[in-house]
Amino acid sequence: MSNVNVNVHHLTRVEGHGNIVVDVKNGELVQCELQIVEAPRFFEAMLRGRPYYEASHITSRICGICATGHATASLRATENALGVEISEQTELLRKLLFHGEIIDSHVLHVYMLVAPDFFGVGSVIPLAGTHPEVVKRALRIKKLSGDLCAMISGRHTHPIAMTVGGFTHLPTVKELLDMRKRLVDAREDMDETIALLATLPWPNFERETEYVSLKKEDEYAFIDGAIATTDGFTYELPDYRKVTNETCVPHSTAKHTHHNRESYMVGALARFNNNYDQLHPRAKEAAEALGMKPIVTNSFLNSGAQAVEMVHCVEDSIEIIDELVDRGIKQEPLYEFQGKGGEGVGSCDVPRGILFHNYIIDDEGIIQGANCVIPTGQNYANIEADMRALVPQILDRPQKEITHMMEMLVRAYDPCISCSAHFMTVEFV
Amino acid sequence: MTRRPSSLPPASATQCGGDEGSRSSCATLIIGLGNPLRGDDGVGVRVAQILGNRTLPDDVEVLDGGTQGLGIVNLMEGRQRVILVDAAEMGRSPGEFVRFELSEVHLLGDGVETASTPRGVGTALTPRDAHLSVHAAGLRDALALAQALQMLPPEIIIFGVQPLNLEWESALSPFVEAVLPDLVAAILAEVDKSV
Repeated sequence: MSNVNVNVHHLTRVEGHGNIVVDVKNGELVQCELQIVEAPRFFEAMLRGRPYYEASHITSRICGICATGHATASLRATENALGVEISEQTELLRKLLFHGEIIDSHVLHVYMLVAPDFFGVGSVIPLAGTHPEVVKRALRIKKLSGDLCAMISGRHTHPIAMTVGGFTHLPTVKELLDMRKRLVDAREDMDETIALLATLPWPNFERETEYVSLKKEDEYAFIDGAIATTDGFTYELPDYRKVTNETCVPHSTAKHTHHNRESYMVGALARFNNNYDQLHPRAKEAAEALGMKPIVTNSFLNSGAQAVEMVHCVEDSIEIIDELVDRGIKQEPLYEFQGKGGEGVGSCDVPRGILFHNYIIDDEGIIQGANCVIPTGQNYANIEADMRALVPQILDRPQKEITHMMEMLVRAYDPCISCSAHFMTVEFV
Repeated sequence: MTRRPSSLPPASATQCGGDEGSRSSCATLIIGLGNPLRGDDGVGVRVAQILGNRTLPDDVEVLDGGTQGLGIVNLMEGRQRVILVDAAEMGRSPGEFVRFELSEVHLLGDGVETASTPRGVGTALTPRDAHLSVHAAGLRDALALAQALQMLPPEIIIFGVQPLNLEWESALSPFVEAVLPDLVAAILAEVDKSV
């Protein structure tokens, strides 16, 4: 019987530090872990004692990619705690900004982090040498999404214009129309993206699990809504703990979560499976081209779902811009604190899955308690369950190939293990 | 006292043409990189905020690059000169900063690094963990990608600042805090050199 020992120390092309450990003795799986070795983050403690209006700016720094996602979930938690109603214009602008971030994050993952596996290269850098047109397309899409975010949030990286109850900076109608034209032009790049993904040899691997995401009846939900699962459960946002059920495990500094089964999955594939009906018709066409129809149970196709969402976000952005231009952009009064605190939960389905922020704010406007449950943490248990299911199916392959498959599997989840420091090490010639 | 990110103005100055969407018309771009929630890693962002409040020549733009990774390639596109400010492990004393150009450091090898490739092979301008990630290894990968696509600007100058503390903490260490005036002066002197 076979022995396999996979030990990937610091998996590449994911955010932060994680190790894959698989140990098979005499054909029996004795160890199968995704070890998270990042120091636990203390951003929840960082929020305590801070005024409510700082929370979205602080939490937007948790992640360089999901800055808007954290900021939006943070604002919704604060607004729900303080009873702040937002205008339709604010809601539309936030959705548009969010679409920019979804496209920005997905294009990075699909092209820069996942595609190299299929082209047989170690990273996007050699890919730029062998397939420059592919990488340039990715950068073009990334520029579009970055500019979309900058137009609304005031700058290219961490959103500055988004605040409790509204925006301190508004795009002009001309900017919106210019962006609309670029989004229409981007359809070609979206088509090329789907065509590219349709040619890739996605691994055959099926394992049904519970898929958890936000859900709204009238739109593909990214901000607000109810928590829905493919096992038929629905919860209101304040009940998020009934879904997440966080527990500590010895081999990971991050907590694991479970709901109706031993694990559940969040992210693009979970949204796709729960909210397929609300996808834009063009996104449904893209899904068809990729052979995807819910319920998709191949975790590797999370990247396919990301591409489908990119198409959806381009199309929905065009429609949102049309609505904004029709309404006209209006300067609206900013929220003023009313001297009454409270508790609130905010949730967004960010690129990597459902995210919860939960704040307790006192009557002085100071945050007294905070809880954040991030998507990647919710996926760890499911990644391990996938690993345990996949290993026995590929045991007859060379160890190098097994290792590569495990890396690809973990990468498919687009895990964001750390939202980390990124300083460089320099050695002078 | 702890810094308050939200109380600081946005670090961006765009005098070079009015196209907010592209922002690529200034010949010189200064990008401050880092995460202000990670102690001294925030030095680049802090410098961007300071410079954002200064009057700079018309053809100079300052950006708070945060922990943006490969997006830096797009930000650099079309520039004559890019000045990057970032925390850098250089084996120096905390707070010490060094101005260098890409030719002065080992750059990147071929960038092929997988789990099976020994880390750091052929590379010296590497992140501490030398893997291809997005914000963990953002700058190195962005430069390597720009190089592979022949999109590097003609002139790249990096100001590396030796950090002391990179833990979750929203203030700079006293060493890095103390060097800010000299660092900003050095960057402004660099800006004054003709492109």
